[in-house]
Amino acid sequence: MTATQQRNPASGGGETRTINLIQAVTEALHEELERDERVVLFGEDVGARGGVFMATAGLQATFGKHRVFDTPLSEASIVGAAVGMAVRGLRPVAEIQFADYMGPGFDQIISQAAKIRYRSGGQFTAPMVIRTPSGGGVKGGHHHSQSPEAYYTHTPGLKVVMPSTPYDAKGLLKAAIRGEDPVIYFEPKRLYRASKGEVPVHDFTVKLGEAAIRREGSDLSLIGYGGVMPDLEKAADALGAEGVSVEVIDLRSLVPWDKDRVLTSVQKTGRAVLVSEAPRIGNFMGEVAYTIQEQAFDYLTAPVGQVAGFDTPYPYVQDKVYLPGPNRIVRACVQALNY
Amino acid sequence: MIQPFTAEPIQWVSESGVPVRDLPERFTPQLLRDLHALMLRAREFDRKLITLLRQGRTTFYAQSSGMEATQVGLARSIRVGHDWVWPYYRDHTLGLAMGVPMFELISQCLGSNSDPSRGRQMPHHFAAKRQNFVSISSSIASQVPPAAGNAMAQKYLGVDEITVCTFGDGATSEGDWHAGMNMAGAHQAPALFVCENNQWAISTHLRAQTASENIHIKAKAYGMPGFYVDGNDIVAVMEVCAHAAEWVRAGNGPALVECLTYRVGSHSNADADAEKHYRTREEVEEWLGRDPIVRIEKLLEHLGHPISAEERAQMIAQTHREVDEQVIQAEATGQPDWRIIFEDVYADMPGHLRDQEAQLRAEQEAGQEVRA
Ligand SMILES: Cc1ncc(C[n+]2csc(CCOP(=O)(O)OP(=O)(O)O)c2C)c(N)n1
Repeated sequence: MTATQQRNPASGGGETRTINLIQAVTEALHEELERDERVVLFGEDVGARGGVFMATAGLQATFGKHRVFDTPLSEASIVGAAVGMAVRGLRPVAEIQFADYMGPGFDQIISQAAKIRYRSGGQFTAPMVIRTPSGGGVKGGHHHSQSPEAYYTHTPGLKVVMPSTPYDAKGLLKAAIRGEDPVIYFEPKRLYRASKGEVPVHDFTVKLGEAAIRREGSDLSLIGYGGVMPDLEKAADALGAEGVSVEVIDLRSLVPWDKDRVLTSVQKTGRAVLVSEAPRIGNFMGEVAYTIQEQAFDYLTAPVGQVAGFDTPYPYVQDKVYLPGPNRIVRACVQALNY
Repeated sequence: MIQPFTAEPIQWVSESGVPVRDLPERFTPQLLRDLHALMLRAREFDRKLITLLRQGRTTFYAQSSGMEATQVGLARSIRVGHDWVWPYYRDHTLGLAMGVPMFELISQCLGSNSDPSRGRQMPHHFAAKRQNFVSISSSIASQVPPAAGNAMAQKYLGVDEITVCTFGDGATSEGDWHAGMNMAGAHQAPALFVCENNQWAISTHLRAQTASENIHIKAKAYGMPGFYVDGNDIVAVMEVCAHAAEWVRAGNGPALVECLTYRVGSHSNADADAEKHYRTREEVEEWLGRDPIVRIEKLLEHLGHPISAEERAQMIAQTHREVDEQVIQAEATGQPDWRIIFEDVYADMPGHLRDQEAQLRAEQEAGQEVRA
């Protein structure tokens, strides 16, 4: 781990280090295992191997096989067992190897994890976290590249988050583990090593449900989350070079999502472009767009723009065409600016 | 007689290449040589494709080195182009032995224009219509319920076919596996389930996968016979699979065959460090000693029909040449263009996809780079 000791304004002036996103995940898991004996971590290949992306590397060696363990190859068993453990008093953190493989565990997620609090009148609850790498950009074909967050944001009872920086990855994961609800924690796999940033040395959390303003601007609000965030920054740079002042917002949490921050921004800029890489129909950003038109209609000077994946399975060849890149984002912004 | 539910895997040829039961008549030296050639070809294909991977000309590969007797043996126990196969992602040797042209496999791995699957899937996930070899899905065990349905349709249609469904040992933990086995059992569908038990699911050993003594005994719960066979002994695999396939074909319902074998290499390229993380060199060495190709060579020697070193070297060189040439040919066909994103999603392209395609086309024609 790099040990660049720096000051981070976001951390209230404490010591920070620069790490990448996957290191942030590993550190969060390590610290939470250390902090609370009820935390257990399991999934396919998370033990000796340390996960296919090495997010859990070294944790079994440190905490033992009763805290960090491999399971049979069954997502239904992994999620279902997590629900049972959580109901019985543990704080399970389950890993699903790829978000694409949540399918076999889907019923356990939506019928059990999401609903047990509600259907039991709060007598039973399932505080648990399901971590899973998601999104494209790694030449994985459709089974290793999908962005299935909308299925989960559509399920009441679940919280859904997706960080794009190491700071958020660590802070959100710790908050998720300490929370009282089931959380689906998507990790944008293409940013595992590509996203680097300062993270406080001391313990901290990032509250679920608060968006982050990545840069302030006055002409247009560019809103995204997860793997597309670096492309939003590039688009904002390109537009900035043309004299356009872009406000960049990272939602970080989808359920709950930060309506206030988004609306405040749109009321200031009058224009919004929403970006995600999931297919467009039923995309979570549809909800954001709807809310903007419903609650900030009078402030809009252009229709809300959207850049999304195509309504096709994620392809193997031409995957770069599939993903919204900076140019497609810039074009959507220009359209809103010229409206 | 071949019995189900044996305590030990059924074996025909010992590790030193000596038959432990009478060699069935059909295993003439010519057939044995033919099987040997197929296995060696698959082994060398693996070797070349790993080189391709290292050169960055493909991005994923799942070897089947060590598992040749299981896959070639299975291929030679069914009626190719007649029976249907729902395979899993480690089955290229099965495909090769069923006569899927090497060029198609290579084209699929490269995602080139010559790929019949049109570059949609990650490497090593092919489909071959002529062989009734249904498209491979990465999602573990998701092929099992459809295989049961395929067999139910065969029964419904009254056709003289069976369905073969393959999977690894890890797959038998998934709910889909149990659901598909149960469905086929309940409906007495003509399905032959084949577990290619190579003992590891990435880093998870069979012992951590299930508390069951082995896989084949699970067949009992679904009302079908379970056969246990030495998956590195091609004679045993062919005898047991052929027996099970005949039993299924005769209308007795489904059957399960567990082939006990070993994945000698890594799980995939994402896992090149197996011995560092989860398994021992000794274990690998032990299984290298049971190599199916060496075993058939010893058998041929024992029968007085040895394969000479020159002959062997020639076969290897020929496969290498063949792969090299076909890689060049496949690469020369280029890559499918961006339109393939929108095709084959539905039978007819709906309006919203036509709009999205038109928008992308306009951007392409305007010469705008799609991505910075
Ligand atoms: C539903 C699902 N979960 C997880 C994975 C990730 N994965 C790919 S291969 C594999 C191990 C499979 O082992 P096994 O079934 O024994 O087959 P083998 O690779 O050993 O031949 C895993 C966990 C997947 N492809 N699908």
